[in-house]
Amino acid sequence: MSALTRLAPFARVGGRLFRGRSGGGGGVRYAGGSARAWPRYRECSQPTRSEVIQAEVLSSAMWFWILWRFWHDSDAVLGHFPYPDPSQWTDEELGILPDDED
Amino acid sequence: MAGAWALARGFRWLQSTARQAVPLGARTASHITKDMLPGAYPRTPEERAAAAKKYNMRVEDYEPYPDEGMGYGDYPKLPDRSQHERDPWYEWDHPDLRLNWGEPIHWHLDMYIRNRVDTSPTPVSWHIMRNHLFSFVAFMLFMFWVGEMYPSYQPVGPKQYPYNNLYLERGGDPSKEPQPVVHYEI
Amino acid sequence: MNLFNSSFIMTLTILTFPIITPLTNLYKKSHYPGYIKTIISISFFLSLIPTLTMFYSGQEATMYNWSWLNIQTFHLNINIKLDYFSILFMSVALFVTWSIMEFSLWYMHSDPNMDKFFKYLLLFLITMMILVTANNLFQLFIGWESVGIMSFLLIGWWHGRSDANTAAMQAVLYNRIGDIGFILSMTWFLLYSNSWDLQQIFITQEGTDIIPMLGLLLAATGKSAQFGLHPWLPSAMEGPTPVSALLHSSTMVVAGIFLLIRFYPLMQNNQSLQTLCLCLGALTTLFTAICALTQNDIKKIVAFSTSSQLGLMMVTIGINQPHLAFLHICTHAFFKAMLFLCSGSIIHNLNDEQDIRKMGGLHKTLPITSSSLMIGSMALTGIPFLTGFYSKDLIIESATTSYTNAWALVITLIATSLTAVYSTRIIFFALLNNPRFNFSPSMNENDPTMINPIKRLAISSILAGFFISYNIPITNIPQMTMPPYMKFAAILSTVLGFMIALELNVMTKNLKSNYSTKLTNFSNMLGYFPPLIHRTSPFINLSTGQNLASLMIDLIWLEKSLPKTISQTQAMASMYTSTQTGLLKLYFLSFLISMTLALTLLF
Repeated sequence: MSALTRLAPFARVGGRLFRGRSGGGGGVRYAGGSARAWPRYRECSQPTRSEVIQAEVLSSAMWFWILWRFWHDSDAVLGHFPYPDPSQWTDEELGILPDDED
Repeated sequence: MAGAWALARGFRWLQSTARQAVPLGARTASHITKDMLPGAYPRTPEERAAAAKKYNMRVEDYEPYPDEGMGYGDYPKLPDRSQHERDPWYEWDHPDLRLNWGEPIHWHLDMYIRNRVDTSPTPVSWHIMRNHLFSFVAFMLFMFWVGEMYPSYQPVGPKQYPYNNLYLERGGDPSKEPQPVVHYEI
Repeated sequence: MNLFNSSFIMTLTILTFPIITPLTNLYKKSHYPGYIKTIISISFFLSLIPTLTMFYSGQEATMYNWSWLNIQTFHLNINIKLDYFSILFMSVALFVTWSIMEFSLWYMHSDPNMDKFFKYLLLFLITMMILVTANNLFQLFIGWESVGIMSFLLIGWWHGRSDANTAAMQAVLYNRIGDIGFILSMTWFLLYSNSWDLQQIFITQEGTDIIPMLGLLLAATGKSAQFGLHPWLPSAMEGPTPVSALLHSSTMVVAGIFLLIRFYPLMQNNQSLQTLCLCLGALTTLFTAICALTQNDIKKIVAFSTSSQLGLMMVTIGINQPHLAFLHICTHAFFKAMLFLCSGSIIHNLNDEQDIRKMGGLHKTLPITSSSLMIGSMALTGIPFLTGFYSKDLIIESATTSYTNAWALVITLIATSLTAVYSTRIIFFALLNNPRFNFSPSMNENDPTMINPIKRLAISSILAGFFISYNIPITNIPQMTMPPYMKFAAILSTVLGFMIALELNVMTKNLKSNYSTKLTNFSNMLGYFPPLIHRTSPFINLSTGQNLASLMIDLIWLEKSLPKTISQTQAMASMYTSTQTGLLKLYFLSFLISMTLALTLLF
């Protein structure tokens, strides 16, 4: 719980970020009782806050998934098994006797 | 007497039924009546003028197909341009065909309608297009041939299986003792 | 056991309800398109039962239902095959169709014939089901042809436009060329196996005969728009966007590849055919990727990327990995359908503007669409752990590690990085920077029927590859060991493509190009293929046909064959008789030559 309360200021900043995007200062406007993009005169209509949040959630879900899988399954990108390099094999491993021993 | 009368009746009856079934002289092999066919090849200037008038053309524009026995007759030889090339914004009488009423129709109009052969000018000339496409494909085919000569592969040894290289599993004779397979050598 | 079969039958049966509904009173009461959508979603959830059963217990089945036709020893049954391919593909297709139907509720809402449109889509889905579940060639052929017909009807949906008609016609004609191959193989199998059942064909044939295999390859080339028969696929973008999303990216066009996958027991014995597949696929994937680079129509770019991915699937067939090709079909369906839905959303919101040069800045106004478009593009390029990665990476790894044509491998890798290039181009031009269009007040993403399918497909574009590939029997996927540079080949080429494209886009954003280079022309005019082929071959065919039918007939039969031949023979005969001068001694002397020759040869 304490960790969550410590995170609160960040959440507030994040909320302000969303708010900054979603409305021209006056907050979100509603039409017809539900949250909708408000048509504007000769201006780009602004998406509602929930749309912005959904979009951010989708993108962050993608990044979360990529990073999460990479953390747990990095072999899929980096190669599952080390490739044998014959030049690194020692004579001892191969069971080859030293040259001078006859 | 009666026989001759019956014969005449019979003959007349045959004639009338034959006329009902096939009107005499009205049916040609291609179902084209005479007035739908082009006229004879115009040889004198007067004939040319008459033919041009028949096809709603000016005499200067009128040029028949050469008289080579193909049966074009006096049909005008129009430029080989597809309907796709014509102005889409003009108010044609037949907007889908881009034709006006009474306009001389190209002999091969069926071929030059908008979703068949297109002759509109291209940004790149014909021979450059042809050369580039064919040299691209030829280059690819050549390189595939080269790639087939020098394939890409990873060094792999033959697969090694237990039980004397799956002797029994591969249908070896169980009564005989299989040759022991040794995959290593010191 | 019973649940498996019965739920499958239920899945199919339930799809046929909406066909009967218009005959009943229910039609007047219900919202027909919404009803069809609901039916398909129910059908999807039902189809999960066999799919999950198959995942957990590996159950497969074959149903022989009804003896259709017996001609002496040749039996034709209605015969359904529920194996790994058909069951999984059914679920995927139903899921994608469900989303696309829901999207069409929004996209086509102003269309006067919306009910008909939905019925077409439903019929298409049913025929696709027939195609994938068929266990004999005849059923497969019925499905094959019916998806072709539905494709024709749906491409030509806006039939008032000449372009749409031409595109529909092209699709039909190119597919007919492919059908020649299909029918050839059917005939061959009928002659030499006396059966159209897949099992019997696989038992009696070894696949070493090149003719039926070439026929199948031709069929697949036509249906899956491989090089030579590819131009119909980008033209098919004249149809409504949901149609492009359903038919021309995720389901119908993969039918050709699916056919080859079905025939893999024969394909894997035929080395030369595999080489042919490999080269054809590699050529397709590179050629169409090049074409995609300079297109400005957002749907055309996505269409060409579909064609490129189909080429990649063909490459996979060529390296004898049918299960991987199938995996790519499944994963590709999700993100490609979503890319089309996103472009549909953009096109509708910009008042039918498809040109990416006239977009820009959409990440502000259409955030969900933009996010999903990004996810789809990244999944398409094979960014690790998104859906595309699980199939694409494996395909390229298997290609690099197997004994293959080096050039095919190289151009497949080039095409992989080109995929990243054109995806970046879409993102850069459509989503980033400043808007380059006039704002319309109606731009929004409010409608849940538009947003929900996109979101659903976006989530599946993230997760589906993982779930599908982890439920595939392990024996079907090669586990490979390879040196790191090969392991990184796929991802490096993709990242390289991304970087180069981004750099070039940023650099040339404000530059003006006064002339177009030869390369640009080649790419922009689709490799000159359509202008050359679409002008030459109809011209030759139609003018020959016209001349033969209407001019040459009279010339040949009524003029040349009898009167002129007779007169010529007569003239010749009379010429010979009149040139006869009666020098009989001289003629008889010529016998001496043969006499001396005979004598010298004898002795």
